[in-house]
Amino acid sequence: MNDDISPRLGRYMAKMLGIPAVEIDSLFRISGGASRETYRFAARYYRDGRAYDRRLILRRDPPASLIDTERANEFRAYQAFHKLGLPVPEPVVLELNTEALDRPFFIMEEVQNCTVASILQPDPYGSLATRIGDQFFTTLGKIAKADPDKIGLGDLEGARTESWKHEIARWEREIDEDEREPQPIARAAIRWLKRHPPPPAQKVSVVHGDYRTGNFLYDAEGNIRAILDWEMTHLGDPLEDLGWALDPLWSHHNPARPAGTVSRENAIAFWERASGLKAEPRALFWWEIFASLKGLAIWISAAREYGDGRNTDPVNLFSGWYCTAFHNKVLADRLSAVGA
Amino acid sequence: MRPEIDKILETTAAQLMTQIAPELPPGYTQSSAGLIGMMLNFCAQEYENGAEMRASENRELRNLLAELEATVEDVRLRVKLGAVMGDRDASLKISDLNYSNAELKKLLIETQAYLETRDDEKARLARREIWAVLKASAKARLLHLPGM
Repeated sequence: MNDDISPRLGRYMAKMLGIPAVEIDSLFRISGGASRETYRFAARYYRDGRAYDRRLILRRDPPASLIDTERANEFRAYQAFHKLGLPVPEPVVLELNTEALDRPFFIMEEVQNCTVASILQPDPYGSLATRIGDQFFTTLGKIAKADPDKIGLGDLEGARTESWKHEIARWEREIDEDEREPQPIARAAIRWLKRHPPPPAQKVSVVHGDYRTGNFLYDAEGNIRAILDWEMTHLGDPLEDLGWALDPLWSHHNPARPAGTVSRENAIAFWERASGLKAEPRALFWWEIFASLKGLAIWISAAREYGDGRNTDPVNLFSGWYCTAFHNKVLADRLSAVGA
Repeated sequence: MRPEIDKILETTAAQLMTQIAPELPPGYTQSSAGLIGMMLNFCAQEYENGAEMRASENRELRNLLAELEATVEDVRLRVKLGAVMGDRDASLKISDLNYSNAELKKLLIETQAYLETRDDEKARLARREIWAVLKASAKARLLHLPGM
């Protein structure tokens, strides 16, 4: 498959750059989740008498997408937050036309010499955990602080008032459409969330939508170099991202250390300091229950994609099986504890 | 050799994860091979426990639903709950157990939603009983990551 893409990608880039030819080298598929095919490659060319050797990343839609995400919004989020100086790869080009590579795609600069943690690793960050945790939650606070209108993302999908209603409706719809069997815990969670609405959002923010360990690159010194996977970005309550980042599924099997980094208290303190907002406990609890419910909805969709044979990436099987069981347990424990 | 399927799956999974995947080029192929190995390990767990776990859960759900009948005042729902009493799984085929499980869970969702509309002590107690069963079911369905 790689061999098929390289010449076509080369022709596309040459046309984009307005030059006779671009040599594509070492095109190689890397892990990047089930909702986009991700490739690393080198692009070599001459332009205005100068030789270029660029290391790039291609993110292409798969034949079937897990969650119907808007790749144009993802690309614009990369643009906006890269420009703002956050650790985000520089986007290069977005192509919505399917002529070049059969499906929409975008290209961005590769951030090199970095590592990405797997959620299955027990302690991926080791002695770098505090340093990474500080940056991880501080960067999230900066995303929350940004004014969507001023950074050109004011028209993203989402709701400016009562975003919680919009978000529940979205994920309930996913469950309605994709569940392969009745989901009593997810249904109870939806009813509880509707019966106990959160306080109004302190502000409208850009919500990353999948801000978690495993979705950023860090270097050997513990510097976070790239926040990735903006495909579910939207407008909403900034606590939505914090609730997701704190979810036990991303704790690397140590619930006392959210994202496998720092204590919960420190994580929240870093976020509050950078965002200028408060993580009021009742509101945050609501968004944490929502996070696990949203997780369940995504995993239920993954199971449907896999079960129907539309996208048999093993990530979908893992998500639909392991993660569904995990979040059912989290929600059952938490909701029973509050007498739902 | 009498094939012990769970052992075969466990061994194959370990070979895939520890011997074959590391020899593949790093990237999507290697990580997918490792993940497929892990899925085989999950299959091993499911082979050994799947039928018992489902049969036991169905039994618990039937007992719970039958018990809840006394708390429910809605006549239509009472009839449905009453019909569950004395029922049992006729087969231990996973597909049959799944079918019963889905039917029981549909009724559980309806009953739990109904009880949430009430604020009396009986309803609160019934809701706690439902959560106890759901917690136990969620715990039983957790998958164990190999090597952890």
